[in-house]
Amino acid sequence: MEYLKSGLKSVLGGPQPGTQPTGAETVEKLVHRVTSSTLLEDRRNACRALKALSKNYRLEVGAQGMDALRQTLEVDHADCEIIGYCLDTLCNITSVENFEEEKEGGVRLNVNVGEQFTEMFIKNPDNVSLVLSFLEEYDFRVRWPAVKLLTSLLSNKPKDIQEIILVSPMGISKLMDLLADSREVIRNDALLLLIQLTKANANIQKIVAFENAFDRLFEVMREEGWLDGGIVVEDCLLLMLNLLKNNTSNINFFKEGSYIQRLAPMFVIPENIEETGWSPQKVSNIHCVLQLIRTLVSPHNPVQITSVCQKNMRNANLLEVLCGILMESGVPADILTETINTVAEVIRGNLNNQEYFCTVNAPSNPPRPAIVVLLMSMVNEKQPFLLRCAVLYCFECFLFKNEIGQQQVVQTLLPSTNNNSSLTTGQLLCGGVFNLDPLSNWFSSVALSHTLIENPAQKEQLLRVLLATTLGTQPVSLLHQCATFLQQTTKLQSKIGLLMLLATWMAHCPPAVSMFLNVPGAMAFLTAQSSATEFDNNEEVLQGMCAFLMGICVVFNDNSVPNYSKENLSQLIEKRIGIETYISKLSDISRNEMYAKAAKQPQLKAKYPNDLLLEFEFCKLFKALESTIVKTLGAQKQLSNGMTELSLSEQENGLLLQYKDVIRDQDRRLQELQRELSKVRAEHNDLHVQSEEIRIANLQLQDENTLLKAQLSAGAVHPLPDNVPLIENGVGDDRDLLAKIKQLEGENLEKDAELERLHKDQDDLLELLTDQSSRLNAFKARLRELGENIEDDDDSDVNSIDENDVK
Amino acid sequence: MSYAYLFKYIIIGDTGVGKSCLLLQFTDKRFQPVHDLTIGVEFGARMITIDGKQIKLQIWDTAGQEAFRSITRSYYRGAAGALLVYDITRRETFNHLTTWLEDARQHSNSNMVIMLIGNKSDLESRREVKKEEGEAFAREHGLVFMETSAKTAANVEEAFINTAREIYEKIQEGVFDINNEANGIKIGPQHSPTNPSLPGTGGQGGSQGGGCC
Ligand SMILES: Nc1nc2c(ncn2[C@@H]2O[C@H](COP(=O)(O)OP(=O)(O)O)[C@@H](O)[C@H]2O)c(=O)[nH]1
Ligand SMILES: [Mg+2]
Repeated sequence: MEYLKSGLKSVLGGPQPGTQPTGAETVEKLVHRVTSSTLLEDRRNACRALKALSKNYRLEVGAQGMDALRQTLEVDHADCEIIGYCLDTLCNITSVENFEEEKEGGVRLNVNVGEQFTEMFIKNPDNVSLVLSFLEEYDFRVRWPAVKLLTSLLSNKPKDIQEIILVSPMGISKLMDLLADSREVIRNDALLLLIQLTKANANIQKIVAFENAFDRLFEVMREEGWLDGGIVVEDCLLLMLNLLKNNTSNINFFKEGSYIQRLAPMFVIPENIEETGWSPQKVSNIHCVLQLIRTLVSPHNPVQITSVCQKNMRNANLLEVLCGILMESGVPADILTETINTVAEVIRGNLNNQEYFCTVNAPSNPPRPAIVVLLMSMVNEKQPFLLRCAVLYCFECFLFKNEIGQQQVVQTLLPSTNNNSSLTTGQLLCGGVFNLDPLSNWFSSVALSHTLIENPAQKEQLLRVLLATTLGTQPVSLLHQCATFLQQTTKLQSKIGLLMLLATWMAHCPPAVSMFLNVPGAMAFLTAQSSATEFDNNEEVLQGMCAFLMGICVVFNDNSVPNYSKENLSQLIEKRIGIETYISKLSDISRNEMYAKAAKQPQLKAKYPNDLLLEFEFCKLFKALESTIVKTLGAQKQLSNGMTELSLSEQENGLLLQYKDVIRDQDRRLQELQRELSKVRAEHNDLHVQSEEIRIANLQLQDENTLLKAQLSAGAVHPLPDNVPLIENGVGDDRDLLAKIKQLEGENLEKDAELERLHKDQDDLLELLTDQSSRLNAFKARLRELGENIEDDDDSDVNSIDENDVK
Repeated sequence: MSYAYLFKYIIIGDTGVGKSCLLLQFTDKRFQPVHDLTIGVEFGARMITIDGKQIKLQIWDTAGQEAFRSITRSYYRGAAGALLVYDITRRETFNHLTTWLEDARQHSNSNMVIMLIGNKSDLESRREVKKEEGEAFAREHGLVFMETSAKTAANVEEAFINTAREIYEKIQEGVFDINNEANGIKIGPQHSPTNPSLPGTGGQGGSQGGGCC
């Protein structure tokens, strides 16, 4: 064999005798064998060898072998062994990861090879259907790599594969059937595949649910031991999460299928948990279920869906179980935090659930309401920040659309009921508003403001609350104390918290405005802040908030404080601040990124204490009132100028006409610009289409390039180096160059022809070789028959490569 | 809450024939005159009684997918019943029935019950397809037929319930393999001896607030 090989090389004029064939050459030979050999055994061996090379020589195998492999999948589809090799090989070349071995191998490119090959493979969607069809083959050697290949393709081109699978007949059914496979590896990998497949595609999510996904997943979780199970349970939950997230149709199905009832028993916490502890996997699993519950009752869902789910959770004792975890000792902080957030959303806006929550007691001695225990954590500096945030959210959700709850909290602060000695929610909050921890101030102010939202009665009730500040001095009202503390504290967070509380309180409540205006220095403070022209970071929010509160004082003013009537205050704003400055201060609030973040969802999304400044409900209030304030100030100004439409002098009338002309003129220009805009848009679209075409052409070129590079390394093209200096030096004479190029081209053609001839020679020789080798075999056989003992030389060099690689 | 059987339905047919409205009328007993995409009721469920047995219907509306037949195809295999709907005021929706039917027959299990529905029967003045034509088509292809109005609710209950009765009878005759969930039929929890028990104590939760559906 070796003899023949070197002989062949000398004929071809290849590398020096004795050197190994390059990987590319070997790959080329193997690919040739896969496509041309008529013996299945032979093709099988070649495929096995290709598989072994597909990590080291990934690029070569992919570039040269793709078509051969695809063809084999069709032609040899009945042979599980060869299909297995093919699928494994395709898996390797389309893998998202880069293999260690690749470095040793052939050509290296900076492009994402796996993605490129995926693109080449799926250019014909039938290829994907073909792989899908192999899922129906029970043989492990086929089914498993088929799952892995699909996963690999999905990771590289998720959108494309999703679309292809969606429209291939029974595609999703085939994948779903894998969940029932008794071989765990396949089932588990199918889970991972389905997780990727269902990401952000509502149509697929719906079909997967239709295919009884929830039943099957609960079944798998049961087999694995529910939340005590391993990562497979987590995968099941992640898949369920994908199916439910933002998919009201599936949420509806989940609810109608009574799956909510199956969640509560999962939380049963063993008696001896204190000894066994919480394994990291169990923590992850619980996190996932909590996420799943929150997805069902998310504030972003349509109200009717969320409220039915909330009701079902209460009826299925899920809320009870969750509250149980809250009061359990030894629960890890992150689970506790997430459980609080979950309870929050399960009760949010649902009176029944809120009432239940209210009755939950902590197993302390004497028993304390859970709400009180939670609020104690919120105003405790030593508790983890995220836990404190969660408590505030939970408290907010408890009060959301809950007039009775709001009243109960305010009630605990009123003089008449204050004689009982146990700690109350109201007292905790009042303490929190004024203690030394700015974060507590902020949390408590916001919490208190939620007792007042859309509740005029409680706004007035809270005005009655008196505080004994220091022993022996006159008690002052809560609102008075807020306004005083606002001026005294140096902490931005405390100030903003108080301003949000005051704004919520005073909006739509003239008696509160009037009480505020009577606090010494309060108005002066707001004016000074609003008219300041310099600010440090985030102080613009403070100034804007002060301006906002001033505006509320104007709009909801009943003129009961002589110096600060509606008119006086408007003039104050106009003279001291200036309307324009004032308006821009207001819009500084909504322009701030903190505002955008807070306005997005009811839950506080803060990582660090400094991220907390504005809050969701306040943002809503601000949005509702900003324009009212601006309008009121405008009207106030007109009134004080005595200018109404009816009492215009002739001169003013002329002015008005002038303005109308200006407006008409601007209108016309606006239209012109709009026309221009649509023209530009159309042009832009055209360009976009063009660029898309170019992109596609480019992709094709890239593919070709990859192929060419691989071929280059396979030595099919002549080396270039000779030409290079020519280009570098030949700046002088073009004609010379052209001539030289001509000459080279000629030479190139000649060489090509020569190469062609050599290829033919090689082919002939190979044929000869096969011939020889079969004759040799025949001779060997004869010799054996004649009793000669001959060493069994391996029947092909290919196999020996294979074995080296496998080792 | 508990049921003897659960049947899966799909509703198919051209866009605008009233599929979503039929579902809404059946599950919520209301009519949505203006097409409101934000509602997105693409799944609905209701309990009905046949022969004194509680039967839960789970219905998938193939909303927004009419243009992508291949997506709708994914639903055929797992469905026990299909409502094939056309609009009596638009002949082309009637003309397309053949392709819908071919698709359904090709991709569904052979026992799937198909109910042909001529919807919008309240719009008599704008009728383009005679009732007799619907009947003839149904007879020719072995379907059950009914004209309905999602607006006035006429025949809507009947359409869904008759389909269920048909499936129920097939079960009694032993035609359906009820142990194969891929047929779109499930046996209720207490009726199935092999039902996997729930973890923890078997305490039946939701006893108080029962009839949510
Ligand atoms: N008059 C009348 N209008 C209907 C009836 N059913 C549906 N529609 C109207 O037909 C339009 C399309 O209905 P829709 O349910 O969205 O059709 P889908 O695309 O098949 O889901 C809507 O404007 C409905 O209000 C009906 O029975 N009578
Ligand atoms: Mg629809």
